Amino acid sequence: MVYQAELLNDLQNKAKTIRRESIRMIKAAGLGWVGGSFSQADIVTALVFHHMKHNPKDPNWEGRDRLIVSKAHCCETVYAALGEAGYFSKAEFDKYGKLGAILQAHTERTAPGVEYSGGSLGQGLSFALGEALSARIGAPKDASGRPIPRFRVFCILGDGECNEGQVWEAVMAAAHYKVDNLVAIVDHNKYQSGAKVIDRIDWTPVAPKFAAFNWDTVEVDGHDFNQILGVLERADKTPGKPHAIIANTIKCKGVPSLENKNVHFCAITDEIYQDAMKALA
Amino acid sequence: MKQSYVRDPLGEAKPMYNAYNEAMTDLFKKNDKIVLLYGDFPRGAAGEMATKEYPDRVYDVGIAEANLITVAAGLAAGGKIPFTHCHGIFAVGRAYNQIRQNVAFDKFNVKMMLLNTGMLWAFMGGSHQTIEEITALRVIPNLVLFSPADPVETKKIAQAAVSHVGPVAIRVANPAVPTIYQDNFPFEVGKAVTVTEGKDATIIATGISVADALKAHDLLAKENINVRLLDMHTLKPLDEAAIIKAAKDTGAIVTVEDTSILGGLGGAVAEVIAENYLAPVKRVGIKDRFGQSGTIDELKEVYEISASHIAAAVKAVIKRKKK
Repeated sequence: MVYQAELLNDLQNKAKTIRRESIRMIKAAGLGWVGGSFSQADIVTALVFHHMKHNPKDPNWEGRDRLIVSKAHCCETVYAALGEAGYFSKAEFDKYGKLGAILQAHTERTAPGVEYSGGSLGQGLSFALGEALSARIGAPKDASGRPIPRFRVFCILGDGECNEGQVWEAVMAAAHYKVDNLVAIVDHNKYQSGAKVIDRIDWTPVAPKFAAFNWDTVEVDGHDFNQILGVLERADKTPGKPHAIIANTIKCKGVPSLENKNVHFCAITDEIYQDAMKALA
Repeated sequence: MKQSYVRDPLGEAKPMYNAYNEAMTDLFKKNDKIVLLYGDFPRGAAGEMATKEYPDRVYDVGIAEANLITVAAGLAAGGKIPFTHCHGIFAVGRAYNQIRQNVAFDKFNVKMMLLNTGMLWAFMGGSHQTIEEITALRVIPNLVLFSPADPVETKKIAQAAVSHVGPVAIRVANPAVPTIYQDNFPFEVGKAVTVTEGKDATIIATGISVADALKAHDLLAKENINVRLLDMHTLKPLDEAAIIKAAKDTGAIVTVEDTSILGGLGGAVAEVIAENYLAPVKRVGIKDRFGQSGTIDELKEVYEISASHIAAAVKAVIKRKKK
């Protein structure tokens, strides 16, 4: 599937915007999770600005799709996307991480548009599974007896995060109950906080692990909107199994001087700021 | 002196999980938001009914307590009222962060059945006998913690759990327990039930220990020592007023639980007394040790939580009363 140039262009611009806003946010806060926020930024853009059905003016609309960011420390691009979409005033960006802010250091439900209070890794997929099940209970059934879920649930996981055993508890249960309105996206940026994934605990390759647990699994370039939109659409058309999208990404994607360095949690110096703003113009 | 709503003699002995299932069979049918979740756990009458008649409202996630609790949180976020069922030791042990972070943090409407808790799951031995759940759970904000004493109270608590909006945990012991209450006994969330009235001392007990405390009351009455017995069925929020009143009215308190005295009911009562109205307190419960296999009566002796131990504690604490 090839998408229209206009759509792809629009998404690329939105992705740049949320990266710029994130850099400003982190500079104002003093610290932030640049690396993981930026590796997932294109996925977040594709979901929030194109694929998910939701209404910023009605954050509690029962029929909305849910975005669960299980790697909740990578909050800045999520906040930027939600602010850009209109869930809250962009004046909140400068308050990120400060006392009383709705934008806390890890995503919390205090911020409109945020579905999941994270920070304790490995739990978001279970939460997403629970939400996905709730969409199926009492739903009308199609001709084959399959419930037509009221909404879809998208869960972004870190590759390091998948060290946590609970992730696999959720994986097993989702497959057993054939929860096909659940889409897990692994932001496979190859790093976790202190090291490369393969140096910390090498459990790669990632995709076969999900496939082995009976998930419908695909791999994509997590920075190619054509591919991202393609697999999201494909998930909609593939009933009977939950869906794993293994997105191959680059930590800090968008700021060439930082790309693929393990910039996990850092301050934005004036130098980095200038460099980033130039790259994201 | 026993209150009018206390059965005398005590009624039929029954496991509280059975009583819960009787209540849930009805509650489940009346409220279509209720979803039953199990961690490889026997479903009981309500779960079996639901499996047959409402299969999309019943799920078992297998031996995976962390997933169990967090899936429940997700279901609650989706508008459901989930009840989770697993061994209390593993909910509190293996899913403690999940209870704290996924359920309590955002005040989700999740009801956690902590089954087979306390020291008296006798045969199962130390790995399965909890000492820790009252201590560990009372410190979690936003959580309501119940501890029923008999089958009738269990049913009231199940109903209260559905009515309360927010996180609930209910600790249920394994053995059959005698029926203490008439069906119409006064139950109010957060208010201790006065089981007996008396002026010499107060016993504050919870869960399966209430029946033993009632036996202790009878033993003491034979020696003309008359105690007030309070059934503290809601451990959080604690009925502080009843505790303070007991200290003022009777001057001495004994607490009884089948879990650790460190920070459990005993610890909680001691906190209230120390800050509000001093009176001697004696905590009866597990003294900082793990459990072991045995019979219920053997374990009560070894861990010093039997009726005669409770009665002895009352006599000892009376000796320390202010003159």
